[in-house]
Amino acid sequence: MGLIAQLLVNTLQIGAVYVLFSLGLTLVFGVMKVINFAHGQFFTLAALLIAAAMPELTVRFALPAWLDYFVCFAAASLAVSALAAVLYFGAFERYLRDLIGSFILSVGLLLLMEGIYLWVFSGAPRVVPKLLTGQVSVLGGSLETQRLVICGIALAFTFGLYQLVQHSKLGKALRAVAEDREAAMLQGIRYRRISFYGFMIGSALAAISGGLIAPLVAISPSIGNDYLSKAFIIIIIGGLGSIPGAILGGFLIAAIESFAGYFFDLSYATIAMFLLVMVFLLVRPQGLLGHAQR
Amino acid sequence: MKHLMAWAAAAVLAAGIASGARAEDNILRFGVFVPMSGAAASWGIGSAWVGQQAAKEINDHGGIKAGGKTYKVEVIAYENGYNSADGGKAAQAMLNRDGIRFVIQGIGTAPVKALQSLSERTGALLLQIAWGKSVKGPQAPLTFTSSNTPFELFGPLIDAVKRQHPEAKTVALLNPNDATGQEVEEEVVKQYKARGYTILTSAWYERGTTEFQPIATKLAQTHADIMDMGAPPADSGLVFKELSVQGWKGIKIQSAGTGADATVKVGGAAVEDTYMGAAADFAGPTATPIQRKLNEGALAALHEPLNVLQLATWDAAMATKAGIEKANSIDPRKVAKVLPDLIFESSYGPAAFGGKETYGSPQQMLVPIIVSQIKNGQTVEIERIIPAELKQRLAKQP
Repeated sequence: MGLIAQLLVNTLQIGAVYVLFSLGLTLVFGVMKVINFAHGQFFTLAALLIAAAMPELTVRFALPAWLDYFVCFAAASLAVSALAAVLYFGAFERYLRDLIGSFILSVGLLLLMEGIYLWVFSGAPRVVPKLLTGQVSVLGGSLETQRLVICGIALAFTFGLYQLVQHSKLGKALRAVAEDREAAMLQGIRYRRISFYGFMIGSALAAISGGLIAPLVAISPSIGNDYLSKAFIIIIIGGLGSIPGAILGGFLIAAIESFAGYFFDLSYATIAMFLLVMVFLLVRPQGLLGHAQR
Repeated sequence: MKHLMAWAAAAVLAAGIASGARAEDNILRFGVFVPMSGAAASWGIGSAWVGQQAAKEINDHGGIKAGGKTYKVEVIAYENGYNSADGGKAAQAMLNRDGIRFVIQGIGTAPVKALQSLSERTGALLLQIAWGKSVKGPQAPLTFTSSNTPFELFGPLIDAVKRQHPEAKTVALLNPNDATGQEVEEEVVKQYKARGYTILTSAWYERGTTEFQPIATKLAQTHADIMDMGAPPADSGLVFKELSVQGWKGIKIQSAGTGADATVKVGGAAVEDTYMGAAADFAGPTATPIQRKLNEGALAALHEPLNVLQLATWDAAMATKAGIEKANSIDPRKVAKVLPDLIFESSYGPAAFGGKETYGSPQQMLVPIIVSQIKNGQTVEIERIIPAELKQRLAKQP
């Protein structure tokens, strides 16, 4: 029981951030029909900004670590959102529903942004000071207290987004555009405005997940790449553009990583994920909860 | 006549590229081929900085004299991404685009092998620190190693741990799943088994992994007495931290451990008492004056103390300088021929190349083997061993 509990706890804590990160990617695809390869760079920027700013803030204002983190988290999320707005109006708006154009654009942005991060922040790994000490036992599995809190925050954001998409006017408009753009426009929904909102929410989710992961890992300018490749697997399995699919896919991938990583090897877990993607693309390309393209 | 002129021009251009020198100002360009991002970035960034210091030292002392000319040294760093794909691209840029013929640092077996496939063909001298055994030998006469590798380090490291913890019997290993990791794992397993240890598991992970809980669970469940990490400092720190959360308490070894700083920054208190196979205290009493000076400079410039891998860039630059002057030529093939017989001044003191018994040809730089441990977040040396082969070579010196 102890071992299974530990593996489940691992699944939960890894999955919570995977889900949040993937939700942003799938939302952007659903609304804009753009596969944003630069999504991981928003995630990375938030983590790097927090790691770079926190020590400065600590020295200047001698605030408690959690307050430093909160201030940096909010500032980093705002900075990333501002960058996302600039990139949307400067570039992405011209490539809405253009898969090839947006692919070239976002891959170019990925390379450019990673190069700039390397130049500005250097490649050496950075760490965020510990926010909470101690560890807790959940169902017999151990995890750090700060991981548990961060996992809870990530799940709360996921729940909040789900509620927004399911029940708010904006959420209904986002879903309508993702489902059938022409029909949505005929109902008076302004497609470009909704696309902008979708892109901003997606980018903010990337920034939030980057900010949440910052205290848990070593942060380098390439950290977003690992999450991006996992997110692609997650949204293909869950269904491109599907919010519940991203949630399901996120926890499924985390479970594969946790259980296959234990019983076989982490390398085999990675192979298993890619095999699963191949099977889905061949047998059920719309994913678990996605809609088949008509 | 036109054809003759064209061929002559091409020959002059090729000769210029082949020498790696800019004829107009007598500058020899040394390449540094390293990762500058990701978990091993601190090694690369530090190596590039040490390379610059070595160039400054050489230039301040009159440059390199060969063939009746005096050359100044310029160091250019190339990001190899710590993988063969990026390494291949960086190697093309360094050797073919920029015409560099002396490489004084190469980190990572996979990218170094990508570089080597080109450097051996194009006749560039390559001094590197890749841990894989297969990078050197008679089949690669232009490749030398300028720092100790698992084949020199692991025996003394495990012996030191065995003396401190004779009760330990079982080991669990973690290595990156690439060319470096695979060659290192083979050697470390052999060394542990030769000393009577039981290997409970030998796990692998992909470089770039950020979530280490699954692998930590797997390792913790073995209840091994010793955990041996063949991973870079940041990754090892994360794994030790997760192992501590999951309640494992035992002997921690970071065989690829090059210094406390990055490991402690990531792993915190969980990495205390970790044994390291490739770390040294260059601020301590056993350090030489030049090592202390470089360490102070690194602390000021990089905010990190120097480690043995970064310092190898200095030793490689000095070996290259001594080789060029001994060969009286900037032809890398002629320099490679004289290196095995040379005794030169490294940052540790007099050093040479040896290791014929292990590698089939003397291409391994002989410098002290240092076993150290993390104590109160700092690197503390516990043993410093001068290789027997170096002692013999120095004894034969007039």
